[in-house]
Amino acid sequence: MEERPSAGTVRVSGFSSDRIKRREIPYLRRRLGVVFQDFRLLKNRTARENVAFSMEVIGTPREQIGLAVPRTLAAVGLASKADHLPAELSGGEQQRVAIARALVNEPFVLLADEPTGNLDERVSKDILRVCKDINLRGMAVLFVTHNRTLLDDHVGARVIELDCGALVSDTGADDS
Amino acid sequence: MRYTPREAFFAFRRAPLLSALSIVTIAFALYTLAVFGLVWLNIERVLDDVAQRVEVIVFLEDGTDPAESATLMSELATYPEVDSIAYVSKDDALARARGDLSEYRELYEDLEVNPLPASIEIELKPDFRRSAQVNEVAARVERFPFVEEVKYGEEWVSKLNFLQDMSLFLGLVVGGIFAAVAFVAIGATINLVLIAREDEFAIMKMVGATPGFIAQPFILEGFVKGVIGAILALALLTATFSALEQRVLALGFYTPAQIVTGVALGGVLGAVGSILSLRRHLYGGTT
Repeated sequence: MEERPSAGTVRVSGFSSDRIKRREIPYLRRRLGVVFQDFRLLKNRTARENVAFSMEVIGTPREQIGLAVPRTLAAVGLASKADHLPAELSGGEQQRVAIARALVNEPFVLLADEPTGNLDERVSKDILRVCKDINLRGMAVLFVTHNRTLLDDHVGARVIELDCGALVSDTGADDS
Repeated sequence: MRYTPREAFFAFRRAPLLSALSIVTIAFALYTLAVFGLVWLNIERVLDDVAQRVEVIVFLEDGTDPAESATLMSELATYPEVDSIAYVSKDDALARARGDLSEYRELYEDLEVNPLPASIEIELKPDFRRSAQVNEVAARVERFPFVEEVKYGEEWVSKLNFLQDMSLFLGLVVGGIFAAVAFVAIGATINLVLIAREDEFAIMKMVGATPGFIAQPFILEGFVKGVIGAILALALLTATFSALEQRVLALGFYTPAQIVTGVALGGVLGAVGSILSLRRHLYGGTT
């Protein structure tokens, strides 16, 4: 675990921070899709290979990888760039590869930690839209950003504002 | 190729010198162990051979009453270890000495007094010919007051036993030192690979690859290095052995089963080396 809570417990998908064993952590991570600001793609592997890698290393059967990877790349709008290396892709496209990689193992939540931090306004909106699509298909998305204006067009989502770790505002859960 | 075998050979490309060092040190570790093992094995053969011929000779004091020696003989016959007993009188001994030691015939020709003692020769049953058992019988016989001396080649046997223990000890110590160097070399290779591929391992952990999965290619690689090292050691050993065999005759070599075990031992040594250095990386610290 990266850190233990200083007080209370954190419960995620049947795992609890006070009871989880070290060897169970990989299985918790499989339930989470994670995306970072710096993409963290493998530079010497194509978009397809980057997505497939996260399935290979948890021991997914080859046939299943063959089916899931193109489907997930298509879901983030990158079907045509599957064979490109990260260096041949724009920032927004690289981040979409990272999102596809996070989604391909079918987690129950997508954690996007400042996914648009390195991207310009237009591309950021694009990424947010991809996340919104994922959410509409039934997966929870936790999207962290410093860019307030980015969220202005997205009414309906629950927005929690934090300042130095303290809660400033919370729009409350979406009823829909 | 599947993930594990494909990744296993990454280190060979990434750090060829260190990989070669790992293999060579494993080879030396096994070679040392094998050479001393061979010494042990051959001493064992000699000991077996000696044991086949072991005979306890009980020399009797001059003037021993024939009735007393008869008592001893009938008691000896009841020992479970004893196969057969033969009484050799002073005259028999002299006659035998004249026949056996023909070069010294003159020495025995004109003797006024027979200097040779009467003796009882005891042959032991095959299952009771190891040195501890022979010692036991000798000690029991020595308690009779008219027994002057009991001989059964004990210095020989204990010297060989000592040599055998020494060769085992030296083999383990010197082999162990090489094995330790091999572990260090394997660890250093793994460190290089871990640094070179930090990004990949971070992603593997992030998406939930288990430490066991991440470790697999390294363990396979260590195993392969160990097996290659063992084969190298075997080649070296065969060369040493055939060179020796031209000088010393009839040495025993390892059986095919022992050779296979040795090669497997090399693989295990390499894999254990990998596991030892991985434990720190995979289980200590976080992504």
